[in-house]
Amino acid sequence: MLSSIKARIVLFYLVILLVTLSAMGALLYFSLHRIVHASIDSSLLSRAKALATLIREDDRETEFQFSDDVMWEYSSPKSTNYFQIRRVDGATIEKSASLGDAELPLHPVAGPAAFQTILLKGRMVRTVDFPVPKEGEIKSPGHNIVIQCAENIDDRITLLNAFGIVLVVSVLFIMILSASGGFFIAKKAMKPIRDISGTIDRISETNLSERIDEAHIPDELKNIASSFNRAFGSLERAFGRQRQFVSDASHELKTPLAVIIAHGEIALRKDRDPRDYKIAIAAMMEAARMMSLIIEKLLKLARFSSDRFTLQMEDVRLDGIIDRSLKLLRPLAGEKGIAIAMPAGEKYTVRGDSEALLETFVNILDNAIKYNVPGGRIAISMRKDGGFIVTEIADTGIGIPETDLEKVFDRFYRVDKSRSRQSGGIGLGLSISGEIVRLHEGRIKIKSKDNEGTVVSVYLKES
Amino acid sequence: MHLLLVEDEKSLADIIKRGLEEEGYAVDVAYDGEEGLFMAQNEPSDLIILDIMLPLIDGLAILKRIRKKGIRTPVLLLTARGTVADKVTGLDDGADDYLSKPFSFEELLARIRALLRRDADVKTAVIGVEDLTIDMASHQVHRGGREIQLSAREYALLEYMALNKNKALSRTALSEHLYDHDFDLDSNVIDVFINRIRNKVDRGFQKSLIHTLRGTGYMLKE
Repeated sequence: MLSSIKARIVLFYLVILLVTLSAMGALLYFSLHRIVHASIDSSLLSRAKALATLIREDDRETEFQFSDDVMWEYSSPKSTNYFQIRRVDGATIEKSASLGDAELPLHPVAGPAAFQTILLKGRMVRTVDFPVPKEGEIKSPGHNIVIQCAENIDDRITLLNAFGIVLVVSVLFIMILSASGGFFIAKKAMKPIRDISGTIDRISETNLSERIDEAHIPDELKNIASSFNRAFGSLERAFGRQRQFVSDASHELKTPLAVIIAHGEIALRKDRDPRDYKIAIAAMMEAARMMSLIIEKLLKLARFSSDRFTLQMEDVRLDGIIDRSLKLLRPLAGEKGIAIAMPAGEKYTVRGDSEALLETFVNILDNAIKYNVPGGRIAISMRKDGGFIVTEIADTGIGIPETDLEKVFDRFYRVDKSRSRQSGGIGLGLSISGEIVRLHEGRIKIKSKDNEGTVVSVYLKES
Repeated sequence: MHLLLVEDEKSLADIIKRGLEEEGYAVDVAYDGEEGLFMAQNEPSDLIILDIMLPLIDGLAILKRIRKKGIRTPVLLLTARGTVADKVTGLDDGADDYLSKPFSFEELLARIRALLRRDADVKTAVIGVEDLTIDMASHQVHRGGREIQLSAREYALLEYMALNKNKALSRTALSEHLYDHDFDLDSNVIDVFINRIRNKVDRGFQKSLIHTLRGTGYMLKE
């Protein structure tokens, strides 16, 4: 229950309300209590003082000169007013008829008078103990006398209690109203969040195109909504790329598989010349080699695409990497009669994984040869540029159309599919190189002119 | 029967063409979308086998354009992407059948036969004309219970005539259905084939099935 924001808001709000209302109720109740008691006490004290003026005392005797009027007030057994006159030692000198058998208890007095609320004959009674002062405004000789006056305050207690009950019931009533109002408001406040979460639930792998409607949500939630929308956008693009990749990969693998099956099946349909079988087997072998190459490149791509793959970083001589790449590719370049120019004697060191970097440059140089014209040229140059070593590989090949330049890192992208296939390209080389350079926190720039050639610049961090 | 195969993977296209030719079909091959579209629009064929992923113009675009032009030749789509959505799109765009790569050649043959006889009044792989029966699956031909040996070309010609029985077929129509577009249509090779088939099918039987229509061509008549 408390795990919901709504409940927390309502609970917090109710606690504050309860504290405030209780404090106010208590203040009201005790103020009224004091006012009522103060009025009773002042009336009791005036009575006690009035009685004190009526006392006559000489050496032998204490005498009261109570008028009928005074006595009338206290004489009826049912009267709610009482008095009792004691000596300081506690002995009762006189008491009102209304007290009957009961006595008003004597309390110790500090100050001019002491007030108490006691239970007398099952009734709530307020009493005052008033020792007659020796001097002062009351000119009374009875200085060794304590006058006690009392009054039944049942009705006033009942009134106070009733007021207290009204207060408690009011507080409870306000709390209940506020709780339901609070829940309603909190629910309304949470509705946009519920809407957003509903939309998020609906968005799944198969339906990544839906977005949270940012126009119809409160300002406070716009940031969250647009963050989610951005996240969904990149997810959608990532899924799209992934789907495209899987579809392309399956196409690339199924085509040679179809070649193998078709050759095998047709060769076996009837008895043939050994020459025909040889042709069929050769075609099957070629398709199998193609598949093997594709699988090998796919595995490399998978390895370098996952960020978990950690490079074996070390100081690497980049000119040495280029030399090793060229050693691997010279036979292919020789076949096409392509001249490769490489400046000698320059030393450049980068931070990187030598095997991964070799893969990168073999792929780039392989493209420069494959997509070159017969008898073409490749020029390699290296320079420093603001903390990077830039390796430029310029070829005189068929080039890449400007509209396709941004696609060259896409998996299975080839400028001219039919031509690439004859030259053995499968469109994964630059994707792999791109991933490796990305892992090295470098970048690859490509400039190209159709039918004039391509310049690939690889930026790698200087060691 | 004259087929057009549009497939950019040369090795696959060439072996399928060879396999189909061994079955007696005449096969033209286009290696990209542009060529494929041109041939589909301009070369008469009885069936088009169309790859979806093609350079220049993709297979589904070719399909839409030929259907828009009112060309009703049956189309069998070939593709490496075997998703349901692709199949539905292909069939909705006017394809008649669909085969996912890699496929069995036997299955390709069976589907080609099924599509070719769909327009003819034939529901099974066996066509009957009087007491002549032609089994399109095994390519066996019987007349009066006796098996008749025919070469692949002879068989193809007879099968085409049987699928169009009781219809007048011109020499041009017959050669278009029997040969790919490299064949020289002026030659009288059709007459030579008709004579050979006549010798095997009609000789020794009371009723002649193959009739020559003066100025028109030939007819296989019940």
